Amino acid sequence: MVAGAQVVAGAGKADLRPPSERFASLATAPEPSFRRQVVPLLSRAGCSGRECHGSFSGQGGFQLSLFGYDFDKDLKAMTVNTNGGEKQVRIDRTNAAKSLLLTKPTMEEHHKGKKRIDKGSWEYNLILKWIQGGAKGDVEATGEFDRLEITPKEIVFKATGGAVQLKVLAYWKDGAVEDVTQLTRFRSNDDSVSTVSLTGVVTAKEKGDTHIVAFYDNGVQPIPVMLPVSERTGPRYPKVAAPTKVDELVIAKLRKLGIVPSARSTDAEFLRRVTIDLTGGLPTVEQVTKFLADPSGNKRSAKIDELLRTPAYAAWSATKLSDYLGNNAGQLRAQGGSQNFGAKFSRQWFDWLYERILKNEPYDKMMEGVVLATGRTRPDQTYEEYAREMSSYFRTENPAKFAERPNMPYFWQRQNLKKPEDKALAFAHSFLGVRIECAQCHKHPFDQWTQQDFKKFQAFFEGIDYGSKAAKDEKVTFASLTKELKDAVPADPKGGNNQKATSAEFDKRVGAGEPVPWQEVIVSNKGKSKLSEKELARLKATNAKLDGRVLTPKILGGDEVLLNEYPDPRMPLMQWLRSAKNPYFARAFVNRVWAGYFGRGLVEPADDMNLANPPVNRELMDYLSDGFAAHGYDMAWLHREILTSDTYQRSWKPNATNQQDEKNFSRMIPRRLPAEVVVDAIAQATLSAERVEKFVADIENRAIGPNANAGVLKGGKGGGNYSLAIFGKPIRETNCDCERTTDPTILQTLFTRNDPEMFSALDQARGGAAWIEELRKSVAGNQARKKGDTAPAPATKTLDLDQVIPEVFLRTVSRPPTADEMSRAKTDIAAAKNPVDGVRELLWAMLNTREFMVNH
Amino acid sequence: MSIHTNCEGVSRRDFLRVGALAGVGLSLSEYLALANAGGVSPGARGKSAIFVRLGGGPSHMDSFDLKPDAPDTHRGEFKEIATNVPGVRISEHLPKLAKCAEKYVILRGVSHTLAAHELGTIYMNTGNRPLPSLNYPHYGAVAAKELRAADYLPPFVAIPNLGAKATGYLGVEYGPFETGGSPTAGKALEVRGMALRPGVTFEDLDRRQNLLQRYDTAFGDYAKSDKLLQGMDQFGQKAYAMMRSPKAREAFDLSKESANINKLFGKEQFSQSCLLATRLVESGVRFVTVSLGGWDTHSENFSKLKGTNLPTLDAGLSGLFTALAEKGLLDSTAVFVTGEFGRTPKINKNGGRDHYPRAMFCLLAGGGIQGGQVVGESDAKGEGPKDRAITPDDVAASFYTALGIDHAKEYHTPTGRPVMLVRNGKPLKELFA
Repeated sequence: MVAGAQVVAGAGKADLRPPSERFASLATAPEPSFRRQVVPLLSRAGCSGRECHGSFSGQGGFQLSLFGYDFDKDLKAMTVNTNGGEKQVRIDRTNAAKSLLLTKPTMEEHHKGKKRIDKGSWEYNLILKWIQGGAKGDVEATGEFDRLEITPKEIVFKATGGAVQLKVLAYWKDGAVEDVTQLTRFRSNDDSVSTVSLTGVVTAKEKGDTHIVAFYDNGVQPIPVMLPVSERTGPRYPKVAAPTKVDELVIAKLRKLGIVPSARSTDAEFLRRVTIDLTGGLPTVEQVTKFLADPSGNKRSAKIDELLRTPAYAAWSATKLSDYLGNNAGQLRAQGGSQNFGAKFSRQWFDWLYERILKNEPYDKMMEGVVLATGRTRPDQTYEEYAREMSSYFRTENPAKFAERPNMPYFWQRQNLKKPEDKALAFAHSFLGVRIECAQCHKHPFDQWTQQDFKKFQAFFEGIDYGSKAAKDEKVTFASLTKELKDAVPADPKGGNNQKATSAEFDKRVGAGEPVPWQEVIVSNKGKSKLSEKELARLKATNAKLDGRVLTPKILGGDEVLLNEYPDPRMPLMQWLRSAKNPYFARAFVNRVWAGYFGRGLVEPADDMNLANPPVNRELMDYLSDGFAAHGYDMAWLHREILTSDTYQRSWKPNATNQQDEKNFSRMIPRRLPAEVVVDAIAQATLSAERVEKFVADIENRAIGPNANAGVLKGGKGGGNYSLAIFGKPIRETNCDCERTTDPTILQTLFTRNDPEMFSALDQARGGAAWIEELRKSVAGNQARKKGDTAPAPATKTLDLDQVIPEVFLRTVSRPPTADEMSRAKTDIAAAKNPVDGVRELLWAMLNTREFMVNH
Repeated sequence: MSIHTNCEGVSRRDFLRVGALAGVGLSLSEYLALANAGGVSPGARGKSAIFVRLGGGPSHMDSFDLKPDAPDTHRGEFKEIATNVPGVRISEHLPKLAKCAEKYVILRGVSHTLAAHELGTIYMNTGNRPLPSLNYPHYGAVAAKELRAADYLPPFVAIPNLGAKATGYLGVEYGPFETGGSPTAGKALEVRGMALRPGVTFEDLDRRQNLLQRYDTAFGDYAKSDKLLQGMDQFGQKAYAMMRSPKAREAFDLSKESANINKLFGKEQFSQSCLLATRLVESGVRFVTVSLGGWDTHSENFSKLKGTNLPTLDAGLSGLFTALAEKGLLDSTAVFVTGEFGRTPKINKNGGRDHYPRAMFCLLAGGGIQGGQVVGESDAKGEGPKDRAITPDDVAASFYTALGIDHAKEYHTPTGRPVMLVRNGKPLKELFA
């Protein structure tokens, strides 16, 4: 293709007539542009969809790039006969009207994809004129796409059935402006609220709000659309208190929609909710009682501050961060020893995060310790020093504290992150909350990312490896330590590799804190030099189009970077993460924290930020994200900012206007407890009184703690893991927050109703002291006495139901019983074989209520 | 309600899922709609499957693919015997299977390259070569999604557990119901969650159910409009029905089996697990896995196989095939027997054989598969396929076909990526002649 050989229609000037006018007559139509008109038209007509010619194997011998963004390839597919005559070329240069590109979609010739355009229509004229003009490409001449502008910018409907025509203008960097409404693909993010026609007419369906998204060239532009839920909008909206900025922004949107928020929750609801959300567990009986009795006006915010200082908060946060970062023992298996170093590495990873969260280390600083980590902790550290340091964390006596390491290299050490493309995908998911998988193979259908963007982003990760590097001046190397280890073991009489003995020696040396051959996370800056032949061959194998040039690393949506200015290619990435311009880093974390509190993110799914999936409340997202960054990535600030709002503290009880609202945060929507919380809550509710306090304070035995994290889940084997697995604890193997699930299943219900583990909790509890047994013992003296003595039992040996029944409720649903419940419980317990059994049955029942199983 | 988007450009609603609900692979909303329209009942009698996992990787050379003419270094100690199908010969230590060879197909020269237990297991249990970036679902999870089970039974049962990753990109709701223990001859298997604890009667269950209803009232009318709360309530009733159901109980109770069927099986756990599998399928479970481990014979291959593994396998599998046939279930029940790989044709110095994925065997039966044949062939020394290699993908595609599931069906991962159930496999034509 000759650059600049083509005069682009409209270049430098605006043509604001719609294509249907511009191309109405073949004679007066302007010269069509391949990039600006032909390809978008084929895309809008559905030709390049995945079901049709956009399929990876094409359709009927004709293949287009998916969603039409590979202009060179598409041009070739239409104009060049690559197959030595077997395949028909799609255009006929001598008789343009006979081109398959026209005769097929008009059904003049049989077309499996049915009729797409009418003969003589403007679409027909556009394609025909392009072929008559020589069917030329013009990607270089058209230059860069700038932006889309859609009018109206927002649609607020008055009634169902209302319709509005959208108008889309495309702006190019060369100054060209064009009405492309008829060349744009539209999509509604929720068809039940609004639909959009092929021509851009938006029609109101049900009450609610969504976005209509327009796609043209590299532009993806959403516009908000809503049909108010009630009459109470704008000036007719009731006066609603908005004590915090979060409330103000949430209510601003609710006011447009005519949704009135629910009242504040009760103190008991608030305490249970915030304790579960912040610390991954239930409040204790004492905590509930004390909180309810506290008369002070600021007790809710005082409670938030108090919880933010607990070890359980740090543990639960570390567990969730471990989810996002993919902390998986099975992927961290280490070389050499017979021990399961994977589980140990995983635990260290958790501890490293835990210690930092406990100190409220800024989020960006903590992530820097992950992003820029290498095996060695100092630039001048020798391999021997590194190997000794690694062993020191595992030595039997007085092991060094891994959490004190300045950085944490295990993110890069994972076995499922060997290839640079896998590192790029994981990085985007963990730190940016962006899914770029699609762009690995084709233009991202809902975002700006092209395959080239992906490749350029991937280039940052080429130089990161987990392995060994032979250093020039070092005597002690991975190889020398490996040899030393082998030599220390007597030869295998059977001539084998003597793996067991070598492993034992490895363990022995590690136990003594001596250096052994540890692999390490190594970074080399490959951007400095050209790719080697081998690397080039590898890249070419996966990308036939690769022209052999060294890819210039380019930040997603950002600038190209000259890597030779940096010793570590990840440094510019980290700089970018922190920069004020970064559209993702702060947002990704804010959104995940928000999703943890409301069951859905401001962007939902929470890890799928893309242009076509805008936040439900952009102003709120901006406020929290900008504030988070401005406050030095202070996680406690973010938690407080959300938790102290009325928005977080609202009741689940709906009113007439917000009954249907599931995404604008006008009420609290009940959420099933996360897997670890279910397991811990059952344990805590059934433990003897004296054990509860230790259980809450000591995270070692908690499912939210380090041990459950290190004991990786594999297919639900083993007792503790079965319950965690069926309740949806993530394995942390794929780049998706959806690995954690809180959907209900029948197995969960069978578990709480009737599983042996459940009854063992009731009767023995974890750690061997069940509350029910404690009650039984407290009255056992009574019965023992009866055997020997016929005298009536002393009153002190009977259960005090006025005290025990409330405790059952406080232990499970974190509130006292109502008067009605109290009297029902007394009746039910009286009907049981004996009072303790009656209490046990009541406890079982409460553990099986939905009130227990959800956070509300 | 959130919208998930996928690579195709189609948006779809992100429903709560309730798949593991007694065989109904439906979203919560779909389920509720169905339930409101008159209850969820088992669909028309469809197909089921039994998957027998031989963990560790059984030696093909000593079981179903003997090479009597191979050199001493390879051949092994066992002799071939004829089966009831002319021309089909198997190991002398599988005499019962030799008498029912018309019921199953032996695949020989099945070949892949993954010699590690975990990777080989994933490949053979999903029909897809493992990728670091994608977790494929086990056949059973797919069956749980695609096929409806009886109302009172889970769709996917693992006896005693699956021992492998289960649900992959499909999500936990399609995971197996793991019995947690293996059955004993003539006794009811106490399965977690469903069996009543000692001393607990149906009256106790009813009393508990009533008790719970008296306290599960906090959300009042709101519970009827909230999808999560409504779904949990439905599951509660379903769980109660399962625990209360005499049919579910009988399905797990081997004392209820007839003498005619009982005598087809040995008394070992594996045999009894196979018996249980047939009962479960008969009762409406759609996918059952049974495991027999101990095949990782790096040393003393022959004494182990002869002493334990092969006789155990012989008793259980012959019973399984015969019982299915006698119950009239073989045509509707696809059976797949496989390890993660074969073992080295060359015997090592410890009298063992090591991991060897290049030439393994699998058995397939039922679900319309034409039994009594050998498909595929390994070379003279059992070192690789002779002419054409059968891939695990082909075997998987065949298995799905026998199970009535389109192996080329496309799913979307939660991130929106389109994935074919079995991307690279084609059903083996000979099986369905």
